[in-house]
Amino acid sequence: MAHAIEVNGLTKEFSSKVKSQGFTASVKGLLAPRYRTIRAVQDISFCVEEGDILAFIGPNGAGKSTTIKLITGILFPTSGSISVLGMNPHTQRKHLSYHIGTVFGQKSQLWYHLPPIDSLTLLGSIYDLSKKQTKNRIEFLAGIFELETFLDQPVRKLSLGQRIRCEIAGSLIHSPKILFLDEPSIGLDVVVKQRIRDLILKINKEEKTTIFLTSHDAGDIEKICKRALVINHGALVWEGTIKDMKYSLLNRRIIDVKTDQRLCIDIPGVKTVKSKEYAAKLEVELSAVSVEEVIQEIMKRVGIKDITISNVPMEEIISMIYQGGFA
Amino acid sequence: MKLIRLVCDYFRINLAAAMEYRAAFLSQAIGMAVNNSAFILFWIIMYHQAGPSIEGYSFRDVMFLWSLAPLGFGISIVFFGNSVSISKLIYSGELDVYMLQPKPLVLNMLASKMYVPGLGDMAYGVILFLATQPLTLTRIGLFVLFSLAMAAVLIGLRLFYHSFTFFFGNAEEFASMAAESVLSLILYPGTIFKGPVLWLFRTLFPAVWIAYIPVRLIQSFDLALLFITLGADILIVTAGVMLFYSGLKHYESGNRIGARM
Repeated sequence: MAHAIEVNGLTKEFSSKVKSQGFTASVKGLLAPRYRTIRAVQDISFCVEEGDILAFIGPNGAGKSTTIKLITGILFPTSGSISVLGMNPHTQRKHLSYHIGTVFGQKSQLWYHLPPIDSLTLLGSIYDLSKKQTKNRIEFLAGIFELETFLDQPVRKLSLGQRIRCEIAGSLIHSPKILFLDEPSIGLDVVVKQRIRDLILKINKEEKTTIFLTSHDAGDIEKICKRALVINHGALVWEGTIKDMKYSLLNRRIIDVKTDQRLCIDIPGVKTVKSKEYAAKLEVELSAVSVEEVIQEIMKRVGIKDITISNVPMEEIISMIYQGGFA
Repeated sequence: MKLIRLVCDYFRINLAAAMEYRAAFLSQAIGMAVNNSAFILFWIIMYHQAGPSIEGYSFRDVMFLWSLAPLGFGISIVFFGNSVSISKLIYSGELDVYMLQPKPLVLNMLASKMYVPGLGDMAYGVILFLATQPLTLTRIGLFVLFSLAMAAVLIGLRLFYHSFTFFFGNAEEFASMAAESVLSLILYPGTIFKGPVLWLFRTLFPAVWIAYIPVRLIQSFDLALLFITLGADILIVTAGVMLFYSGLKHYESGNRIGARM
């Protein structure tokens, strides 16, 4: 399979003014400013294959948005090389923009006082679509994203969920091969989040669009992504499939057990997360003990009425990443 | 053609957005015209006191300046409204949207916003021209040409001044003041300025090329001088565009939350 994105040794440094606290320091800074170099992205390399849905995960300030901006040609890299659909995003930015779409959750490309239909029509013109092509594309996207009922209402009167659906539709107006989504589900409720996820999956399936997604939402990552890249302090700290992330990387299982007597268990590698009368939630460290051994041990002590074995929730995996668990 | 279509599309969508609030739209456009009219009263009194000529400028010549400046300025902020907000776009990371679209960055960025009061300026400039100038084909043609040239130079100057934001972090105040200075200078007879200051008005604050020489050409046409003037205008715009693109390499984007109004 061809690579949609290929990044090698990418580094981005920013120069930031250093200022101590207080008015005197401000005056000193004015006369003799001091700068320090911040490495927002440090020597990262990865590939994304065509048609893939990739999660790009990391805590705030990890370098996710900077990396997207480097890949899309907004920022110039300090060093390293980037190839997107075989193009250099910095020397061929204009040409590349016909083939990529972007949604920055915090930045809108819709006119606030006008209905989305006007902004979508303008976007069609910006991407050199004919009036007929634009009309057909808007009809298609309105159908998929269910925009018909509010396409003619001013954006300012739309709910956040409706607005984000319009934003994504706008970024797909020119049928891009790659869609960059930077925290698209920020601020949405669970129902709308699920809807957005379904739409992303649909567009990936129907148009074979490669999806590059950054999100803090465990559900986004778990339910729609196949692979993940984890970035922290600007460096790539983990790369693999979501399945690997859950099964291998976090070498733990959760056992929820209901028993006929109160359960007291003290085995190395087993932690009681919650315990209430005849029910307990245990976290098993697989490197220390197997699930089978733990169940056998429980059965020796009490009778089991019900038992569920599950993986550690994605929420916890992400929380661990953010706390530096993989760094 | 595609670029003209883009500017027209932006004009249509911005006008539609402005008309969402009809009362504000009309009051802004009319308010600007009324504001400009107050100054005409000043010049009528001035010429009544001073006689038919001030430093070689007749009342009609001054009215030509007062027609040209609002029309040129109006065009620059109606069709290229973001030209007054370039610093803000740079330091708040709002160039991202334009950089991700397949259109020339400068034109796309400048044309995507409209300042409604500029419509009042434009209407005022045209009406004043029609009311105070002899309506010969030459004069009308030169008026249109110089208005477009003035709009282009004002935009080029704003690009130039605001591009310092790429290098200094925020040059918004400096750029606004510099642009305002040029606007102030073009509303007075150029002949009142003499000596070395004129070099400043040919370079950093180039009122000479967009106002003083056009009046001279209206008084007495000279083809060679017209070409020199247009050449100078092109140089100024080119300098603005070049400085912007050279600064773009220092663009740091940002995470400010924003909407397009």
